Amino acid sequence: MIGASPNGHRPGGVSNPPVRSRRTLALLGALLLAVMFAYVMLGPVIFGPEQVFRALTDQADEVFHRISVWEVRAPRVLIAALAGAMLASSGAFLQSVLRNPLAAPATVGVTQGAVLGAVLALAISFGSEGALDGLNLFVPMAAIAGGLLAGGLVYALSYRRAGAEPVRLILTGVIVAAAVSSVTSFMVLVSGSHIDSIVRWLVGSLGNRTWDHLAFLVPVAVLILPLVVMAVPLANALQLGDATSVSLGLRTEEARAITLITAVALGAGSVSVVGGVAFLGLIAPHLARTMVGSDLRRLLPCAALVGAIILVTADLLARVFSLDWIPFWDIRTESGSRVPVGAFTALVGAPFFLYLMRERMR
Amino acid sequence: MTERDPMTPDPAFTTDGVSTGYGKHVVSRRLSLTIERGTRTALVGPNGSGKSTTLKTLARLIAPLRGGVYLNGGDINRLPTRQVARQMAILPQVREVPAELTVMELVEQGRFPHVGALGMLRRRDDEAIQDAIAMTRLSEFVHRPIDTLSGGERQRAWMALALSQRTEILLLDEPTTFLDVGHQLDLLELISGLNRDRGVTIVMVLHDLNHAARFSNRMIAMSDGEVVADGAPAEVLTPSLLRDCFRVEASVVTDPVTGSPMCIPHSPIFSDDEESVANG
Repeated sequence: MIGASPNGHRPGGVSNPPVRSRRTLALLGALLLAVMFAYVMLGPVIFGPEQVFRALTDQADEVFHRISVWEVRAPRVLIAALAGAMLASSGAFLQSVLRNPLAAPATVGVTQGAVLGAVLALAISFGSEGALDGLNLFVPMAAIAGGLLAGGLVYALSYRRAGAEPVRLILTGVIVAAAVSSVTSFMVLVSGSHIDSIVRWLVGSLGNRTWDHLAFLVPVAVLILPLVVMAVPLANALQLGDATSVSLGLRTEEARAITLITAVALGAGSVSVVGGVAFLGLIAPHLARTMVGSDLRRLLPCAALVGAIILVTADLLARVFSLDWIPFWDIRTESGSRVPVGAFTALVGAPFFLYLMRERMR
Repeated sequence: MTERDPMTPDPAFTTDGVSTGYGKHVVSRRLSLTIERGTRTALVGPNGSGKSTTLKTLARLIAPLRGGVYLNGGDINRLPTRQVARQMAILPQVREVPAELTVMELVEQGRFPHVGALGMLRRRDDEAIQDAIAMTRLSEFVHRPIDTLSGGERQRAWMALALSQRTEILLLDEPTTFLDVGHQLDLLELISGLNRDRGVTIVMVLHDLNHAARFSNRMIAMSDGEVVADGAPAEVLTPSLLRDCFRVEASVVTDPVTGSPMCIPHSPIFSDDEESVANG
């Protein structure tokens, strides 16, 4: 009888992952609620818990409270949570199915495609009044179309004979992403005075997001949900390799297509409302994997919660660190003095990701 | 498992004139094989002989260029693939281990053909899984990530996945590669035990000719995509086969303990007009 290998045995690995992860998910859920509540309380004007509660139940003392809490912060925090969860879920699916730890919506061109769709729609709507109003759903719809088109293009270009192999999907994705980005760069160059709102789409921003945006994003998420449920067990089998998937009785290419469509739709949906937030789709699944492992039945909800927590926290920081808090800093852009949240996720995400890689490669 | 009459030998697999390959590159030509139920078949041959390709064709991992593979009479490439997966499990050579995936999470996947995708959303922990884990002696490792296991334990975890599928046929592609001799024997004992105690039909590609001779009751030797010898190990493992097929001078003796034929290779045979070895 062969004994236990002494190498790589971690104490955490012995306990029962399903039980452990249920606790982790509950903790993350509580943490998400906490940061969401903090988000509504904090900002240039700070409200106490009681004031927030009164504003949420339509008993605000002043109109100003109502507007700050109900019109500005509440929809924005809900959008941040949902969009962050969707982006992270997209990354979790992609990393599993493409069997690549670097896979994310941005590595298969989905983010870039959705951003280009949004930027093109913005360029078209600049002539008309109210281009940035909440009611203008032309931009998010164009973004979703752009994301789906880019994802479809990557899949079609990767398809040879019997299917699209993961490695080819990633290589094609990187190339398509670069090509699509260069078109966006061109749009930025010719955008003239509208450059500010385009850049906000490029880096990802939650500024000026209203209930109308949430009313767009929630049905999108609800439509994708059955696909997510279907894709979880398929991706679980696919991550064991194509040969094992065949042995288990999967129609491999069909399963891969379903999972990729799900991931692309989640990524495009997220970008359609908040823009191309960097690193979140890459980092959140990694963090989640260190907490609950690689089984998507636990990884996916965990990644979604982590993604929501990160985006809510990042936007809270972005709001608190508005540029006009910096002394002598008087440069204001047209759409306000706020730092777009995407600038924060990249700033914090890049060093963190390097740290994670170093830990993993040891 | 399906009911069967033990009196009539009925084939698990038949192939009629199967040619397989990748694109235009034909690896094996017009193979007609019949694999009887309850047998242990070892596919042997030098590198590039087409033995792995033949196994992959039986496993429906690659579609034949010509001809068909029939599993219990039905065309394996036309039958619903989940139905095939309830009858036949595969231990492929190329596999992926996602980081942090535990033994239990891997072995659970073996229930996929039985419960379907939506059934796999629930946690599975039934008798087939417990049995597979017990047979592979992995009880103490169930919650360990696979990438923290030793090579031998890891291979047993993959065996447990195939076992939890509860199939009557098991195909294995070089299951002992990268294992030391003790773990090789351990795994081969497990495989022949499955055949002996549960009647599981085994078809395996093996590199080690002595292991093939000892753990199979039928050896099929392939060379250049064609079957050059087929029969009981003692009939197949001969000095002339080793010379013609494997290009080594060798003696064949009888293992004093197990009684199976054993070859002792002495020297390679070089020929000037030897073609470059084909890959496949």
